[in-house]
Amino acid sequence: MEEQPGLSEQYTRASPWPVFVALGLVLTEFGVFLGNYLLPVGVGGVLLLEASVVGILRESGYVDSLWPSSLGVGLFVGGVGAALLTVGRFNRGAALAGAGGIAVLAAVGFCCYERGYL
Amino acid sequence: MAVSPELVFSVLMGLLLLVVAGWLTRLEDWQAYTPVGGGGYGESTGHGHEEKPAGLTRWLTTVDHKDLGILYSLFGIVAFAWGGITAMLMRVELTTPGMDFLASFGGVGLYNALLTTHGITMLFLFAAPLIFGFANYMVPLLVDADDMAFPRINAIAFWILPFATILMWAGFFLPLVGIDIQAAKTSWTLYTPLSSTMQGTGVDVFLLGFHLSGFSTTMGAINFIATIVAERDSVNVPWSKLDIFSWTILTQGGLILFAFPILTAAVTMLLLDRNFGTMFFAGEGGGAMLWQHLFWFFGHPEVYILVLPPMGLVSLILPKFAGRKLFGFKFIVYSTLAIGILSFGVWAHHMFTTGMNPRLTASFMAISLAIGIPSAVKVFNWITTLWNGKLRMTAPMLFSVGFVQNFIIGGVTGVFLAAVPFDLVMQDTYYVVGHFHFIVFGAIGFALFAAMYYWFPIMTGRMYDRRLALWHFWLSIIGGNVTFIAMLILGYGGMPRRYATYLPKFMTWHAVATVGAFIMTFGVVAFVWNIWQSALYGKRVDSGDPWNLKQSDQFSNEWKWYEGKRQTMLADGGEEDADDAERNAAD
Ligand code: HEM
Ligand SMILES: [Cu+2]
Repeated sequence: MEEQPGLSEQYTRASPWPVFVALGLVLTEFGVFLGNYLLPVGVGGVLLLEASVVGILRESGYVDSLWPSSLGVGLFVGGVGAALLTVGRFNRGAALAGAGGIAVLAAVGFCCYERGYL
Repeated sequence: MAVSPELVFSVLMGLLLLVVAGWLTRLEDWQAYTPVGGGGYGESTGHGHEEKPAGLTRWLTTVDHKDLGILYSLFGIVAFAWGGITAMLMRVELTTPGMDFLASFGGVGLYNALLTTHGITMLFLFAAPLIFGFANYMVPLLVDADDMAFPRINAIAFWILPFATILMWAGFFLPLVGIDIQAAKTSWTLYTPLSSTMQGTGVDVFLLGFHLSGFSTTMGAINFIATIVAERDSVNVPWSKLDIFSWTILTQGGLILFAFPILTAAVTMLLLDRNFGTMFFAGEGGGAMLWQHLFWFFGHPEVYILVLPPMGLVSLILPKFAGRKLFGFKFIVYSTLAIGILSFGVWAHHMFTTGMNPRLTASFMAISLAIGIPSAVKVFNWITTLWNGKLRMTAPMLFSVGFVQNFIIGGVTGVFLAAVPFDLVMQDTYYVVGHFHFIVFGAIGFALFAAMYYWFPIMTGRMYDRRLALWHFWLSIIGGNVTFIAMLILGYGGMPRRYATYLPKFMTWHAVATVGAFIMTFGVVAFVWNIWQSALYGKRVDSGDPWNLKQSDQFSNEWKWYEGKRQTMLADGGEEDADDAERNAAD
């Protein structure tokens, strides 16, 4: 691994994340808003968006570790999902709550990993 | 067992995520992302710290303002092609009064869809991104910054655009592969109740794309403001020395910041009305008038969002080829700021015929007439800059002078329209269409062409073909005036706008307009061919000052930067080598 520097360290003016933040945002809005059989597209979009936000924050050096931002986006998305559930939008609500939950789980994983439990 | 679409989409999304993850692991050193990992973040790995990777990866991952400027410009040109093709389909249909040319492809419905996408594309996907393209490339150089304030947000803002565009254009292509998602036929103003009641998912898909493109614009604007205010080298470029293009980009940023959230909110409300049973634009309380107020409170500032930076471009370029300083620099800056503020106080001049309270119409008329004053200040300053100058009629200069001519007609017709009694007659006729085309193509388009030629040497290291550029100019100015004057005359005759068919008495001038449109098209073809060929094979520029700006003491920052870059390239083993290396990298 040490032999292979990552793109964003080797090159000062490159980052792999922006294009996926954009794609994640677009797929999220498209899939979640239209719902029905496009909902899976929305779920994929949310997951991509969550991962890219966590990734870009770390890569740009705004944060040092992965788990707090992962927890943050997870709670945010999960919160929106929960709010939709309470107003009776079951499918969309469950989709967002689930996608948020995955990010929260990932946060737990990152936390364990960073502290050396994994 | 039948395969449900949910399943198909789930599998496809799963695959997409896997591909993304795979690509990322190939590119990134994940160890560097965790504090306990191997190399650790920030430590030197012993490998060279070059700026960018090679090949396609470079363009997908770049956060360099210059690369993003080029990407924005390329995107703008693709959108220009789509906007132009749709326009020509409409113009051909309009050559004769009846429905004939488009009849077998979709008739009036298709015409309405073309009309909608033409307007939206030209304003939001051609003009605005091309302005952002030049601003991205040049503003950091002009203000002596290393890059934009937030390079990654810059890249995110750009990448939203192509994805949003796919949604906005999808309605034209999905029916071809058997998916029943039709293009929106709402016109660019999206007036309710038409837009809130029109059936079809296609309208929603379009609105979602439009909504997203607004995010992109807003992010871009914030970035420009931050760059000019905070990243500017305050020693070399104090406020008093800030160039005019950056001033207009700063003002534009402010306008975007106040105008676009309104659009985003209004479109959100429209989407909710269409899909979730809200009644913002249906009931007594809000209704159709609410939409018009929200839309035009955004919409009029939007026209200045689009025209101010082009005015800045012309103010920047004209003096360079007139051999004198811009006349009344300060007044141009003040008039820019004045227009920026006043532009929020005139929106209801688009609604004079809605039966508003006459006291209101009178005050909106007054402010609309007032906004003509700072616009005129600029025109007089440009003319005075030319007066007694040593004019050099290069392509950028020709387009700048063409801008002034077209802007005068566009501006004066605008002032006429701002007068209530005149507007009551001309509202919703081709006169309005003529007015704004003089501005959006005749002025904004021309300024963007001027900028493209002016900075071509910096952006490509090569020179464009001068003869083709002259063809481009003359075909554009003749074709443009023929088409848009014909539209003004049609308007005086009472030809209503937005119709695919018309009374036979209007045929002559419609035919003239179509001929003019073809002339313009030939010009545009010359333009696209020229920049394409010249960027790849054009003659290499042989100095850092291809326009001889040093002579008149106007060698500005972006050219200084370019000269410096050329010198380092020479020191590194010659221009040819450096160029070829760049070529290889781009392949
Ligand atoms: C000199 C200042 C200007 C004045 C006083 C002015 C006035 C007007 C008025 C009163 C209308 C409404 C016509 C109607 O629908 O009855 C109008 C329409 C329009 N103007 Fe201007 N205008 C000015 C400059 C501009 C500029 C700089 C642009 C573009 C950058 C522009 C773009 C438009 C557009 C796009 C419309 C049509 C909107 C629609 O689709 O209904 N105008 N203008
Ligand atoms: Cu207006």
